[in-house]
Amino acid sequence: MSAELFDSAACALAVTAEDGTILQANSRFSEWLGFSTTELCGKRFQDLLTMGGRIFHQTHLAPMLRMRGSVTEVKLDMLHREGHKLTVLLNGIKREQDDGTLYDLALFGTTDRDKYERELLNARNFAEALLQEKTATELALKLAQAELSDAYAISQRRALFAEQMVAIVSHDLKNPLTAIRMASDFLNRGERTAKEHQLLGHIGQSSERAQRMIADLLDFTQARVGQGITIKAAPLDLHEVIHRAVDELRVAFPAANLVHLAEGSGEACLDADRVQQIIGNLVANSVAYGDLQRPITVTSRLGQGRCEVSVHNHGKVIPEALLTELFEPMTRGTDQGSDVRSVGLGLYIVRELARVHGGDVAVSSCVTGGTTFTVNFQPT
Amino acid sequence: MDLRHRNNIRVKGSGSSTLVFSHGFGCNQAMWNYLAPQFFERFRVVMYDLVGAGLSDLSAFDKTKYSTLDGYARDLNEIIDAYAVGPVILVSHSVSAMIGTLADRHAPGRIAAHVMIGPSPRYIDADGYVGGFKLADIQDLLDTLDSNYLGWSSAMAPVIMGAPDQPALGEELTESFCRTEPAIAKQFARVTFMSDNRQDVIGLATPVLILQSSDDLIAPVAVGEYLHSVLPNSTYCLVDNVGHCPHMSAPQACAEAMKRFLAPWAVSHVG
Repeated sequence: MSAELFDSAACALAVTAEDGTILQANSRFSEWLGFSTTELCGKRFQDLLTMGGRIFHQTHLAPMLRMRGSVTEVKLDMLHREGHKLTVLLNGIKREQDDGTLYDLALFGTTDRDKYERELLNARNFAEALLQEKTATELALKLAQAELSDAYAISQRRALFAEQMVAIVSHDLKNPLTAIRMASDFLNRGERTAKEHQLLGHIGQSSERAQRMIADLLDFTQARVGQGITIKAAPLDLHEVIHRAVDELRVAFPAANLVHLAEGSGEACLDADRVQQIIGNLVANSVAYGDLQRPITVTSRLGQGRCEVSVHNHGKVIPEALLTELFEPMTRGTDQGSDVRSVGLGLYIVRELARVHGGDVAVSSCVTGGTTFTVNFQPT
Repeated sequence: MDLRHRNNIRVKGSGSSTLVFSHGFGCNQAMWNYLAPQFFERFRVVMYDLVGAGLSDLSAFDKTKYSTLDGYARDLNEIIDAYAVGPVILVSHSVSAMIGTLADRHAPGRIAAHVMIGPSPRYIDADGYVGGFKLADIQDLLDTLDSNYLGWSSAMAPVIMGAPDQPALGEELTESFCRTEPAIAKQFARVTFMSDNRQDVIGLATPVLILQSSDDLIAPVAVGEYLHSVLPNSTYCLVDNVGHCPHMSAPQACAEAMKRFLAPWAVSHVG
């Protein structure tokens, strides 16, 4: 290589001894670093690097040059005579001479490219930090979900346990209540004073009410945790069954004015006891919430493919929000305001009974028309 | 745990004592190729790569375990237990000297002697102690590592422009020489250069040969002299050499000093 070509090369070139001492450097090298070529000769290449570069030279670069005989594309920061940094890419190769080992070094200025690479590096670090954050968040979410599902499982077990307990207690209460009724009936047959008759009447009514509540509870638990409510359907005269039921309810609710309307005629195949229970629950509901100064009307409709019963009362309108969940068990919105109706198991059981008959129950409520519950046993 | 795979362990030579070679920061066991073969005749020689370096099992790199030099020291003791025969002399470069010191402290008596090449118990200056570096220098190093691993982190191996007189060593080892997964390299650099093991070396009674380069940026002469003064059973040997790797650039001088020091354990394997 001619001396001129070496000197005016478009990159910085240097030849060093094995220990890094510069033996020869071109004018590009001296121009970039601000030292004359004479000043450069005798200096060690590594002493022209920043401290980080010098450590890297000692721990990576020098061993690699020795071991592999070459390095390529090593990025280093060099220090200009005046202290500022110059970023270069270094290629180096080992050359064995008779009088020892030499290293030929070529340096390419890469300051602008370095800035770009640093931007890339920063962007990558930023992306990694974000990813780490995301991973941490996902982990936290997963933990929260696990906790939630644990809590859900626990609450499900508790709910099931509570419902089973209700079922057992309701069942066990039936026997003592039956004993109370039989005893009070027996006492009622003998000679009693008026006061005693009145008291026995209270016992009878109260135990009947308790029995209805227990029947509701049993039906509820049957529907929720058991095999579901079962019915024994048989052909019956719907008007007759409703008529009888209303008669009995007049005794149970002496304060109410109950009216029965029978419309049309036709066949019906239903479980009479359950139909009676439906009417009982709906009437009890109307007595509780309706206007007792005005009649409660029970209508049975047959014919033209219809088979339904409805109970109407003149009561306060049921708020729209409550209408949708009226038939859910234990829907009680008492904390939503004083005007909200208290709804227990009765309507839920009505709906379940309607459904096991293949039908459904609907409600309509308005200020002028009052409230009507309609059980349709043969929906078309 | 398959140690051989985890640490890329290679066993050479034979003898009634074992030399375990432990490389320093930045490289792998290939750096011993100039020095270790001189001991194959009289010693069993065990060489390995620190986890994260060379051809070690990168999947074994547990960030927490290797967040201090202790993790590496535990590995070293496992390797000694599994591969050493007879008395064990640890030949360690750079940061491995402190890994060896910790291993010695964990299992006193297991290591019969140390040969420490360019050791330093602390790189950063402290009150009354000269380590050679400021904290900012280490930050600058991490920065340089970042710059260079930008290209190196890709699958592309640096082009070898031709390597005359390349010593005989496994092709892959040369390939992996000084190539480390960037995240691991940075953590190891931090662990190495931020460590302070002065309390561990002070008073260590095991015989130690300190091989000190006459001109070493990483472990300056003052550090070698400090170690000689706090190690009661140490032999100090100044090797005329520029740079941190006298075992590569002045292997003959190193080997001669070692042979003198190792004479009590050097038993030729005859028959």
